[in-house]
Amino acid sequence: MSIKGITVLLVLTFFTRWSGSAQDIEFTGTAKPEVVIGETFTLTYTMNAQGQQFKGPAINNFNLLSGPNTSTTSSIRSVNGRTSMSIIYTFVYLIQAVKEGTFEIPKASVTVDHKVYQSNSLTIKVVRNSGGGQSQNQPQVQNSYPPSGGSRQNPGSVQAGSNDVFLKAFISNASPLQGEGIVITYKIYTKVPIQQITINKISSFPGFWSQSLSKENEKFTQYNQTIDGQQYVVADIRKIALFPLKSGKLIVDPLEVQCVAQIKRQSKQKTGDPFFDDFFNDPFFNNSMASVEKSLKSNPVIINVRPLPTNDKPSDFSGAVGVFSFKTELDKTRLNANEPLNLKCTVTGEGNIQLIDKMNVTFPPDFDSYDPKVTSDIKTTANGISGSQTFEYLVIPRKPGKFSIKPITFSYYDLTKKKYISLASPEYSIEVDKGNGEQSVVTYSGQAKEDIKYIGSDIHFIKNQPMQLHLTGSLFFGSLPFYLLILIPLLLFILLVAYWKQQVARHSNATLMRNKKATKVAKRRLKKAHDSLKANKEEVFYEDISQALWGYLSDKFSIPLSELSMDSVSEALINKNVREEIIDQFKSTLNNTEFARFAPGEKSMMMEKIYNEALNVISNNERELR
Amino acid sequence: MKKFFVIFSFSLLTVNLFAMDYPLTITKANKAYTDGLYTNALELYRQVLKDGYESADLYYNIGNVYYKMNDFTSAILFYERAKKLNPGNEDIEYNLKVANSKIADKIEPIPDMFYRRWYASLTRQFSVDAWAKAGIIGFALTLVLVAFYVISRILFIRKLGFWLGIILFFLSVFCFLFAYQNFRNLRNQTEAIIFAPTVTIKSSPDDKSIDLFVLHEGTKVQLLDQIGIWFEIKIANGSIGWLPSSSLERI
Repeated sequence: MSIKGITVLLVLTFFTRWSGSAQDIEFTGTAKPEVVIGETFTLTYTMNAQGQQFKGPAINNFNLLSGPNTSTTSSIRSVNGRTSMSIIYTFVYLIQAVKEGTFEIPKASVTVDHKVYQSNSLTIKVVRNSGGGQSQNQPQVQNSYPPSGGSRQNPGSVQAGSNDVFLKAFISNASPLQGEGIVITYKIYTKVPIQQITINKISSFPGFWSQSLSKENEKFTQYNQTIDGQQYVVADIRKIALFPLKSGKLIVDPLEVQCVAQIKRQSKQKTGDPFFDDFFNDPFFNNSMASVEKSLKSNPVIINVRPLPTNDKPSDFSGAVGVFSFKTELDKTRLNANEPLNLKCTVTGEGNIQLIDKMNVTFPPDFDSYDPKVTSDIKTTANGISGSQTFEYLVIPRKPGKFSIKPITFSYYDLTKKKYISLASPEYSIEVDKGNGEQSVVTYSGQAKEDIKYIGSDIHFIKNQPMQLHLTGSLFFGSLPFYLLILIPLLLFILLVAYWKQQVARHSNATLMRNKKATKVAKRRLKKAHDSLKANKEEVFYEDISQALWGYLSDKFSIPLSELSMDSVSEALINKNVREEIIDQFKSTLNNTEFARFAPGEKSMMMEKIYNEALNVISNNERELR
Repeated sequence: MKKFFVIFSFSLLTVNLFAMDYPLTITKANKAYTDGLYTNALELYRQVLKDGYESADLYYNIGNVYYKMNDFTSAILFYERAKKLNPGNEDIEYNLKVANSKIADKIEPIPDMFYRRWYASLTRQFSVDAWAKAGIIGFALTLVLVAFYVISRILFIRKLGFWLGIILFFLSVFCFLFAYQNFRNLRNQTEAIIFAPTVTIKSSPDDKSIDLFVLHEGTKVQLLDQIGIWFEIKIANGSIGWLPSSSLERI
């Protein structure tokens, strides 16, 4: 607003001080006298003073769509060069004609300064659609009112067409990633002054988590914008941060807004005064305005949400998208059993932070843990949402010992780096001391032992040691080596036994031969001894007798000569099952032989006796064995 | 004689010689499994299978991979195959039990007569080859003891050789019997796993015959007879019916 304008306003305000109260109070109702069935039209009550307790008429034959909507207009009036300022109160009903006929709308009343004023009653004729019916959206020009003192107008418009006021939705990013925050802004574009913007229908955001960024009752920021050579006043009426929860095409329904637009009529008031003419022909003053109720609808918005990449997606990813930092804090690492322990996890950053609803914390199974206390500190700014989400865990270790809390991980998709990022806390080791121990007894009274708690179940691990592979279907059983391993030992065994048998057979043959020859050999030796006897060779005779006896024993009973002696002979013979009689005979003969050698006396007689004795014992034995 | 021994020892070694190229593949596959790359592990294990090698451990590992990929039916099939090659292994038994707890059908098996149960559990204590090797060792020892009996002059050793020889001889005969029993189980694929998600068991090998009951994938069945594409099957609770061969995979 120019300096000139401000000055004028100040001056005008000064004037109106005294002229406002001098006015007569007028309370009038206006409506179209003739309407078509189904047509929506306005019923307006205006009053040029501040009123209270407005009592509207009973609207019986019409369909009341909305109202009364109250608005105040401060108005500046110029009559014959005199200016005055007044307040105009407007009560607007939006009603629809439903049946044919002529109907009367009764009087409305209002209280001003403890005085009740009544409006005029109205007669409205409802006719059938005769083809000339007006479209509902066309502005309905009502009784003229003094020029508005509202915001500055854009010149050149005659009627409030669809181009004069419209609503548009803008999104900051039409193809965000799933979970990436976008901002939807609804802007109202107008060439005419508007009032009373009421939101009829808030857009629904299916598939989104939404957070309004504009505060309630906040003033709209206004600025000018030129579109196709036309200047518009633009106001951001709503700003919402959206976080897509799923991927694909998502549609945001339009926002519906109702507002009252002030539409300029082409009527000029000439004052004749060149200064005032110039001044009031300025569009600021020189328009007669009409209030028009207008429904505005924004364009529906299609948002194409891209899914998050699936490769390298961490297993603990739970949908956080943005730029975050992660911090954990443990209040103590050494404590007594049954004392509380606090673990605080904080995620700070920008993104869909409120959707982070849990942390991957695993406490040792012997700890009593409670659901975390979640506190969020969220700041909404015009560009989105940032802040922090804090999870406070309270755990109570019940048993003393050394425990560890595994690293707590937090994964998110980083929008600036365009990849998944996993953050992890350090591993905390906690030493739980026994404490005074009394409390423990109280909490677990009665039962000192606990069953093993199975926390999870899984299959056993793979066999990791080198494995013995074999050809499919090939088995040792039934294979050639199998049969060979049976047959070869058997063969070896048979060979061994056969060889052994052979050896034994050969050996036994030798003894048999000796056995058979024993008598012959003995006889030969005895014959030799007999020869020596004849020749009276004493030494040779005894030698021969001795050899004949011992040789015979050895050969006959398969006893090696080395094993035979005077002492052992009887034993050896007993073993060979020789009768005792014969053994004694042998022994005495052998003794006599040894004795006779050195005995004094008749030599030839003794030799003759010994010879006969030896011959006897051998032949006796032969007879015995037969 | 010498030449014969060379051929013999070679034929014993060949079984293992050809498998020597595979430790690397197996190691790689095991590593992939440990790292959680189950698809890669499966591919490597199956490569070894495709090249014509097998072992109980290999089947067991493949079963584990399938389990981890949540394909419990295939896991059961491979555990069963592993169990056939190495019937007494605890890990295989345990994992098979876990995998069986994940499938839809729960069948109460009818208990066998105690002696059959004992015989079966004794037979399954070891694999075919383990029994066969035990039998061979027993037989060789029998021969040694008999040799003692034959050769020794000492009465005690002769007696010992005789009695121990007789005992060992019977033991080795039993070993061979068990080996044969397992061998027959292994060769005759008389068991199968159902692979169709849901299959209706019919009263006769004919689509139009009466529906008897419904089985789901992962259930083990015994194959009794085959007519065309139809198998007569028996489930653990003794029920018998017919189903098309396409819904089965033999163990």
